[in-house]
Amino acid sequence: MSLLNLKDVTKDYKLGKTVVRALRGLDLDINKGEIVAIMGPSGSGKSTLMHILGCLDTPTSGEASIEESQIRTLSESQLVALRGRKIGFVFQTFNLMQTLSAQQNVELPMIFQGTKKKDRAQRAVELLTKVGLADRVHHRPNELSGGERQRVAIARALANDPEILFADEPTGNLDSESGGTILELLKRLSEEEGKTLIIVTHDPDAAAIAERIIRLRDGRVVEEEVRNA
Amino acid sequence: MLKDFFLLAARSITHRRMRSWLTVIGVFIGITAVVALISIGLGLNKTVEQQVSGVFGVDTFVLVPKGSFGPQSHAGGSSEQYALDLQFLKSIPGVKVAAAVRQRTGFVQGPTRADGTSTQGFLPVMGLSTELVDEFESFTGELTVQPGGRLFIAGDTDVAVLGADTAKRLGAKIGDSILVAGDDKKELNLTVVGIMTPSDEQVSTGSSGGFSAGMTSGQNKDTIYVPYDTMSLLWGESNDVLVTLVRTQPGADVDEVADRVQKELTARGSEISSITYSDISDAIGTMTTTVSAFLAGIAGIALLVGAVGVMNTMFTSVLERTKEIGVMKAVGAKNSHILTIFLIESGLMGFVGGVVGTLAGLGLSALASMFIGRFFGVQMAVVASPSLVLITLAGSFSLGAMAGLWPARRASKLLVVDALRYE
Repeated sequence: MSLLNLKDVTKDYKLGKTVVRALRGLDLDINKGEIVAIMGPSGSGKSTLMHILGCLDTPTSGEASIEESQIRTLSESQLVALRGRKIGFVFQTFNLMQTLSAQQNVELPMIFQGTKKKDRAQRAVELLTKVGLADRVHHRPNELSGGERQRVAIARALANDPEILFADEPTGNLDSESGGTILELLKRLSEEEGKTLIIVTHDPDAAAIAERIIRLRDGRVVEEEVRNA
Repeated sequence: MLKDFFLLAARSITHRRMRSWLTVIGVFIGITAVVALISIGLGLNKTVEQQVSGVFGVDTFVLVPKGSFGPQSHAGGSSEQYALDLQFLKSIPGVKVAAAVRQRTGFVQGPTRADGTSTQGFLPVMGLSTELVDEFESFTGELTVQPGGRLFIAGDTDVAVLGADTAKRLGAKIGDSILVAGDDKKELNLTVVGIMTPSDEQVSTGSSGGFSAGMTSGQNKDTIYVPYDTMSLLWGESNDVLVTLVRTQPGADVDEVADRVQKELTARGSEISSITYSDISDAIGTMTTTVSAFLAGIAGIALLVGAVGVMNTMFTSVLERTKEIGVMKAVGAKNSHILTIFLIESGLMGFVGGVVGTLAGLGLSALASMFIGRFFGVQMAVVASPSLVLITLAGSFSLGAMAGLWPARRASKLLVVDALRYE
């Protein structure tokens, strides 16, 4: 069943006076529960694609839909609500709040959803335990290693029990060992919890956990590879 | 949720400790200035009112030459003295006691010395109602005479009290006789019953400063004081009154009696104005309010500078945290959430500045009160009304929030994709 669907999607950016076309008529289908890797060189449109799939941005033309609802027809607040409930993000640079503890970072998405304090705290500890940080709950990001920070970020992405998990270069800032651990964790969690996982990456190792690899070049899909991972 | 936003804002403030404190100091200086000046202004007002009511009493009013008090006092054309029928004044309903002071220049001859000579010349002669001493002590202050002498008592006629300088110049002692000449060759031999204590020896006793300073110091040190009725014997009916004090009957409306007295005396040719406690209190109120408003205005400028400081800090904060804002939006924060968090943050800085500033402001006004007390001998009241404190605290939070409104709006309107890309 198609969860995310793009039809002839283009995306233009204005850089000063020149218009840069990041996506040039892109068609894509992603099914529920799939693990998909989006690969391509710098400037191929990977991040732009992730932003559109993640409802962070809207296409210039074409149709993008999530669970049959057109992204373009949604208001800003509907998009926010959609992101909050259905989508979790893991970033290359972790993007944790330096002022908050690991637990508070994981609670943050739940705060914006209005989850009760007690439920929030319980869920945050539960998730941190799942990612193997039960003993790091009260540590601040600067007291954690890169791999641990990314695990906090994964726990945060899962906080509101989203259907889709986006990981933007999740191993980009990690050594190969902790990168490997993170990938395993992402794969295990998305399979256990039945999440759709979309990894945007340069890293062939990261792509190796995917069931399908989509390669982009110059804003178009140039190759799709279905794997039996 | 709001509680969590407070926590997020507070975390952000403490994370940038140095800058936050500097910003808070900006607000704190402004608030200190405003609180101190308002508090001192209120204290001054209260103190002056206490002083005036101590001297004046609410049942008393004063008759002064027309146009010498109030807004038209500098319009010119006012005389310094006026005519008065004291007996008639005493008969007006509502008047309990009245006492007047009149002044002339008269020819005076001192006591004859052993060698047959005596000092003579023209000196100011001041007639005081005996009631002035008995009934209006708070006005006259502690008029004191040197040991062995006395002031006037009821029934006195052929007596005089001399200013300290006059006594020296005339060579007069208590018990001596001096000659004072009035109009139409009327002259009286007056027995000196007292000599005033020189003003620099008079003890100032706070609220009873009153008229005594004017009566015994400066130009009046060479004055000869005689009873009011003696003045009448020398110069006939008075058209030389400086001031009249009137006390009303118990229960009478002072302002009403003052109006009546002014109307009836004016009809008889006295060019007078009446001043009641409420007139003075109004005048003082207007004056201190104007001064306070002016000072608070100046302090307001300091506050404005503080607010600009908050705004600057918040703009910097928004810029620094662009990526953080992007992340919050990516994980489900609405624009209104971001706006609220940043408003709370700037409001909190204003509030902390307000708390410290209020304490410092009140401390400063207590210090000013102590200073005034020590150097001017006046116990100034320190006014720390709860409403002043509450208004200041609420005001400082709103000031901070308002200063943060523009930066916070900018933060909330950031596009999530742009914010996430920001390095």
